[in-house]
Amino acid sequence: MNKLFLSSVAIAVIASATGAFSQTKLSRNEIINSLQGAQQEVNISADELQKAAIENIEKYPGANSPQQLPLAAKLASLRQFNLEITFHFDSATIAPASYETVGLIADALHTPYLQGQTFFIVGHTDAKGTREYNLELSIKRAQAVREALVTTFQVPGEYLFAVGLGEEQLRDPSNPDAAVNRRVQLINLGYK
Amino acid sequence: MKYLLVSATTVFLMMTVSLASAQTVGFAEAIKILAASCGKDIQAHCQSASLANNGITNCLEKNQSRISQKCNADRLVVIGLITARLAAQSEVSKICNRDMAQYCKGVKPGAGHMLRCLLKAQPSVSAKCNEAIDLAGYR
Repeated sequence: MNKLFLSSVAIAVIASATGAFSQTKLSRNEIINSLQGAQQEVNISADELQKAAIENIEKYPGANSPQQLPLAAKLASLRQFNLEITFHFDSATIAPASYETVGLIADALHTPYLQGQTFFIVGHTDAKGTREYNLELSIKRAQAVREALVTTFQVPGEYLFAVGLGEEQLRDPSNPDAAVNRRVQLINLGYK
Repeated sequence: MKYLLVSATTVFLMMTVSLASAQTVGFAEAIKILAASCGKDIQAHCQSASLANNGITNCLEKNQSRISQKCNADRLVVIGLITARLAAQSEVSKICNRDMAQYCKGVKPGAGHMLRCLLKAQPSVSAKCNEAIDLAGYR
């Protein structure tokens, strides 16, 4: 009986190991491939982008933003990648389930393919709740991701900028409450 | 006998695993261990701790008498793995300096051009440089 028990444990271990391998989810190289190849310098500062979101709420108040940010088209033309990172409810604490994703960003940013280029870490929410609250939360969450990368994973901080756009730049404006809108967007601003 | 065989396999498996970690792993692989081994303890004792500034590992250290044995062991493993990978990455350009001069003359540094050149020249590149690239996770 003891023997049998042992073998089945061994099988379970092997099974779970293959399970982990066959699960083709997000990979470091996927992030690198989407982000590398930035063209020459882009003239948008993180402050400018952050201000644009705040002004968008002031200029066009209401439950939902009637239009995209003025910088949207320019940003859309840049090398970028969208990630899903889970935070605790109503907070900027990254959930353990998403540690791996943050680690993957670190893996990608630490390669020579991306080193030395400037990145925005942009937090987005869906449209549930007020725009001001969402903006505030997304700023804190983007900062939390940046801080984790810069400290625990030692990605050079001078190249990383956190911006929160709340619900001002929905990924799917026709479904403002959809989960697809909640994301962390990495944007490559190229060499400075 | 069968029992022995199974244990031998287990030992072999464990050796492969520890060997693999001696070869350094990526940051995602490392931090995943923390989530897997310490997820419950983080939820119980470090719910508001931050992943930044080693907040989670520091909190676990503070609570070491209350957390599981596995988490206590692995929190140190994870810190070691991250440190090892960072050290390996900082060594590459120094160790591969001569290979770059020899095989990548005229290659413009930046945007991974040098690394691409070294990877292409792998058969000629020195064993030390190839090893450094492996340890950095750059292959």
